[in-house]
Amino acid sequence: MEKTLNQVLLHKNSRVGADYTLWKNGWGGQGLKNAMEHPADIISMIRDAGLLGLGGSGFPTHIKWQAIADQTNTEKYLICNGNEDEPGTFKDRVLLEETPFQVIEGATIAALACGINNVVFYINPNLKTCHEVMQSALAKWLTSEIHNHALQQGLNLKYTIVASSGHYIAGEETAAIESVEGKFPFPRGKEPRPTTSGVNGCPTLINNIETLCNAPHILRNGVQWYRDLGIGEANGTKIYCLSGDVLSPGVYELPMGTPLTELIFKYGQGMLVGKELKAVFTGGPSNTILTEKDLDVNLDFKSVSERRSSLGTGAMIVVSRGTGIVKRVAQYVDFFAAESCGQCPACKTGTYYMSQLLGEIDTGAGKKADLDSLVDLCNILPGGGRCHLLDGAVKVVDSSLYHFLDEYKEALSDDSN
Amino acid sequence: MTKNISYQEALANYKAVSDRPLPEVNYEGLLEKYHPDYFKDACVQLKIGANKGDICHIQLAEMLQTDARIDEADLAGAQVIETDILIIGGGGAGCAAALTAAETGARVLIATKLRLGDSNTVMAEGGVQVSIEKDDTPQQHYDDTLRSADRPVDKKLVAEMVMSAPDVIRWLIQQGMQFDLDEYGDLLTRKAGGTTAPRVVYFKDYTGLEMMRVLKEAVRSSEIEVLDYVPTVELLSDEDGHCTGAVLSSLEDNRYKLVKAKSVIIATGGIGRLHLNGFPTSNHFGATGDGLVLAYRLGAKLRDLDSFQYHPSGLAYPQHLSGTLITESVRSAGAYLLNAQGERFVDELQPRDKVAAAIMRECAEGRGVDAGNGIKGIWIDTPGLELNNPGIFDARFPKLIKIGKKSGLDPRKQPLLIYPTLHYQNGGVIIDKHGQTNIPGLYCVGEVSGGIHGRNRLMGNSLLEIISFGRRAGIHAAKYSPRKPFRKISIEHLSRLRRELMLADMPMDSKGPILFPAYAKFETDSDYSGLHKNKKSK
Repeated sequence: MEKTLNQVLLHKNSRVGADYTLWKNGWGGQGLKNAMEHPADIISMIRDAGLLGLGGSGFPTHIKWQAIADQTNTEKYLICNGNEDEPGTFKDRVLLEETPFQVIEGATIAALACGINNVVFYINPNLKTCHEVMQSALAKWLTSEIHNHALQQGLNLKYTIVASSGHYIAGEETAAIESVEGKFPFPRGKEPRPTTSGVNGCPTLINNIETLCNAPHILRNGVQWYRDLGIGEANGTKIYCLSGDVLSPGVYELPMGTPLTELIFKYGQGMLVGKELKAVFTGGPSNTILTEKDLDVNLDFKSVSERRSSLGTGAMIVVSRGTGIVKRVAQYVDFFAAESCGQCPACKTGTYYMSQLLGEIDTGAGKKADLDSLVDLCNILPGGGRCHLLDGAVKVVDSSLYHFLDEYKEALSDDSN
Repeated sequence: MTKNISYQEALANYKAVSDRPLPEVNYEGLLEKYHPDYFKDACVQLKIGANKGDICHIQLAEMLQTDARIDEADLAGAQVIETDILIIGGGGAGCAAALTAAETGARVLIATKLRLGDSNTVMAEGGVQVSIEKDDTPQQHYDDTLRSADRPVDKKLVAEMVMSAPDVIRWLIQQGMQFDLDEYGDLLTRKAGGTTAPRVVYFKDYTGLEMMRVLKEAVRSSEIEVLDYVPTVELLSDEDGHCTGAVLSSLEDNRYKLVKAKSVIIATGGIGRLHLNGFPTSNHFGATGDGLVLAYRLGAKLRDLDSFQYHPSGLAYPQHLSGTLITESVRSAGAYLLNAQGERFVDELQPRDKVAAAIMRECAEGRGVDAGNGIKGIWIDTPGLELNNPGIFDARFPKLIKIGKKSGLDPRKQPLLIYPTLHYQNGGVIIDKHGQTNIPGLYCVGEVSGGIHGRNRLMGNSLLEIISFGRRAGIHAAKYSPRKPFRKISIEHLSRLRRELMLADMPMDSKGPILFPAYAKFETDSDYSGLHKNKKSK
């Protein structure tokens, strides 16, 4: 177990908290040192390593970085996205609290590669310890020899820590830009892209904390090492957040592509109280549900999407038999309804209406017509919002209907079948 | 085993005399050797929860470490009720909290396991401690409480309690409660064991019953909603660990109800019906420690889990009334305790733990009375009291005359056989002066809470405590709850419980809270399947 668990991002050399010396004596700073020696090679290394956006999109990181690097503006921004507010996801919290120097080093490498001069650590205000640890670490960083060396090399970065608004939606890329500009986090329209016009109209790179944390290690150990970490076609590692009805929930950094069954039964020590597995909400609740027959799936972006689902943030919420799917989905849709920013009518009314219908059905007051409405909404709503909140809410409802229609039908008050 | 003296022989040894000097009594090592709290193997270490590693009575530990009665599946389709403040328990503490909360306009719901007023409050006979006599002060009340506690207590709680006592009595009188008065209409007082001044106000030997009568009437004529026959089987929580309501199990329609509340006040009383160490109990049928289990599962911290009060004077004979309380007031009025040889063996007004231990010593050393069938005890000299104070029983102890009638004995003519009875849980959930626990949104008041009594509670401090802290919690919850939004309700804390149980390698075949004592025989008397879950599965 030790060989594959917590090899890189959550290795003890990385988890040093705000202790600079401990970090430096481990492998701290080596990636940045290599990067400063050959700054022009950073993006190609990230590309060859196959690093993907680990905040949920799985989008190739080097494409974003290249797009920013191609801009000629003098002011450029990097937003290190630690807004994390999705049920079942808690990896960024661990990274910020326990590996702050890894985060700062990763951000610095990204800035160096893209010619960015403003680095913003954008952190959920409810994660108070993260703020404290990052502040303490950043203060040490700014007086460190690494930082001085970077300054001598002409890398003069302005680091700031910004508390996000605390809304779920504030983690969306364009909403984060609004938030950093000091406004309410309303997601923006699709064009212009942040890569051309983000914070204050400047090109802005937005990466998830976990994505950035991988950069120092790729620079330190090379492309092939990173590729070899993954299982099958996947590269590197992934932090999985295991929660729900398992004996040992928690964060597990495992090779990208580790089978779901291994995560649940080996690392999670199996199901709680010997209950049978019923379903897994992957990547948090804004996703398609996996069921028992999908236990063999390899947890990487490609393999999971082949099962009509997606890896998302790597959150795995395990649900056992005995848990009402309708109740669970109702809770999640309640969450989305409460978190909808309300600027897109389809999302504002759609999430609310779905949550009402689910509530009715869950408490046994629902009618056949309510279920029909719910099915219709799943067809009508997708694509009706600027951001993905609405689509996520629909996805979980749609997927639960696909797998557990019987449970919905059983709960109806006028079910005649 | 030492043989005691037979009932007949002991009765022959007894004579009612007016004056009996107290012989020299040795109190050294008395508690350590004879009090059940000190029994070897009585306590174990808790293996899970907020008090992991702490010492706890073995039977209580077993109950605190049971699996929950419900699963998420049980809650599908359950009715959801919303209220500002949910109060679990319809005894004195619960009613006092409800009344003060409802006065502010908050929506209050009381959920009781049986019926409103079915509680240990009605069992309390002696009275309420309040320093109102001219030679008495709250400081003395405070000092007495601390001295007899015999272990560190939460001094802030004791201070708040003794200072609030006069106001508590005023409030009770305003609610309509009667007390025994002298010819000028002033409150009569009497002295409790272990105290330095006469401080107990009372109404005959029915003080708790009178209190409950008044509180019940007040609740019934208010806007407070009362749900009877709905034992609480679990609390509800959100992901931040707030208490957000409770799961009730209706005995009437066998269904679960979910109550979504902004604050929850647990006032479920104690654990007498667990019959710790095999003792009979003076407690009400519903005293099964439900509140302790519910709060502990949610992460509440408890204290003094190894200490219980055995009331010295529980009726020992006849057997069908075993455990029934004979109020301490009989002793404070001057009744002696006599062994089978007709001799005094203890200062009757020592704190309860010492008197109880002294009785057990007499019986263990062969000076007790053996009434057959394993029944043993010593005499309480009621005829002697009548001899010194003619008419005192009719005037002040009507309940005792009634108990005598049920036993076919006249306490004025014949001494009654008594033996210590499991009476009170000294510890409980740790609270602050508002009754708040360490779990946001969760309050505990009355016997379920801990910190005031140490190892030994004084007579009259429990009726004071329930009203004093009941009112405080009611006021505090009403002040802070209505403005708050409702939070999410879930039972995810049960996953944590089950995880802990599994990792500690604990058995998971018994379910808690037990709700009713095992001898309730619900498996044959009731068709309510939910109750069977307290039985170990085969």
